Amino acid sequence: MTAMPANRQAPTLRLNDEDGKVVDLAQYRGKVVLVNFWASWCPPCRKEFPSLGRVRKLFKPSEFEVLAVNVGEEPDFVFSFAGVTAFPLLFDRDSNAMTAWGVQGLPTTFVIDRKGHVAYRANGGREFDDPDIVSAIRQLLKS
Amino acid sequence: MQGSFRIDWGIIMRGPLLGFLLVISLADLPAHAEEPEIVWRHHASHRNVTITANPLSNASRTSFYRGRGFTAESIHSYARSCGFSIGMRNAGSGPITTRLADWRAVGADGREVSIRQPAAWDADWERLGVAQAARIAFRWAQFQSENAFEPGDWIMGMVTLQEAPATPLRLVARYHDSKGNHEIVLDRLACTPD
Repeated sequence: MTAMPANRQAPTLRLNDEDGKVVDLAQYRGKVVLVNFWASWCPPCRKEFPSLGRVRKLFKPSEFEVLAVNVGEEPDFVFSFAGVTAFPLLFDRDSNAMTAWGVQGLPTTFVIDRKGHVAYRANGGREFDDPDIVSAIRQLLKS
Repeated sequence: MQGSFRIDWGIIMRGPLLGFLLVISLADLPAHAEEPEIVWRHHASHRNVTITANPLSNASRTSFYRGRGFTAESIHSYARSCGFSIGMRNAGSGPITTRLADWRAVGADGREVSIRQPAAWDADWERLGVAQAARIAFRWAQFQSENAFEPGDWIMGMVTLQEAPATPLRLVARYHDSKGNHEIVLDRLACTPD
């Protein structure tokens, strides 16, 4: 992952989850949040998806969350792939959030620090329980 | 490997069409099934930048995009164009950028053909009244017209040529870093015959 310039506020992220409930990134202030933009037809997205669940379980719910933002797909199509997840699935049906976040391609992932700043960005697939990524999240939790 | 799902890699190695259709068929597999590695038929590197490619057939693209809201008629011109799935990785220590407008395919007869920009396709979809959801899927499935790769980034997408050159063809992929402009050449590519 690439470290981002300090104190860059994350764009607004306010989308419906799988139950139609609005989820706002701002409600996670005080936690470190991993925001992953993905689609089920994207091979590297599919490959990294299980690691989102694994990294989620490495941390307490009170300190870390994963938000998986699906881009442009029907919820039924998404559920057939994702099933029940340990983290919220959000739906960016018109890709407006993806555009606001400056995403160039899928998958793209951001790590947001406890103050709501974008700390890291990754273009392309990753394994999120990789020791380097886990270490970076732990460092953010200490700051 | 988790579960009972198994991939016959020989299928992928033997035929890009079968391989791509297999990837499409994985859309119904749940996330806990282990995803296969993508097998690339063509590779080339320059310094720490690697580009890979697989040819895409008419049938595979028609199936893929019909599953995302295109009609067979609307996707016909795209599906029958000469196209490739491209992966590009920056394993270096500094950032690089790419512009599809700088890339060229060079046919066996030496004639250069440019890449058809994703925006040109999108203008077609707007004119044809393609549904917004289908256009979104199309947009993000393409190799973007401009990309910035930080160290470790890997970006994948589809590209199409303005027309099919005489084969075998070379794809000249250009990128820019702090030292200047560079190119990577993928050799002996061919459009799929259908």
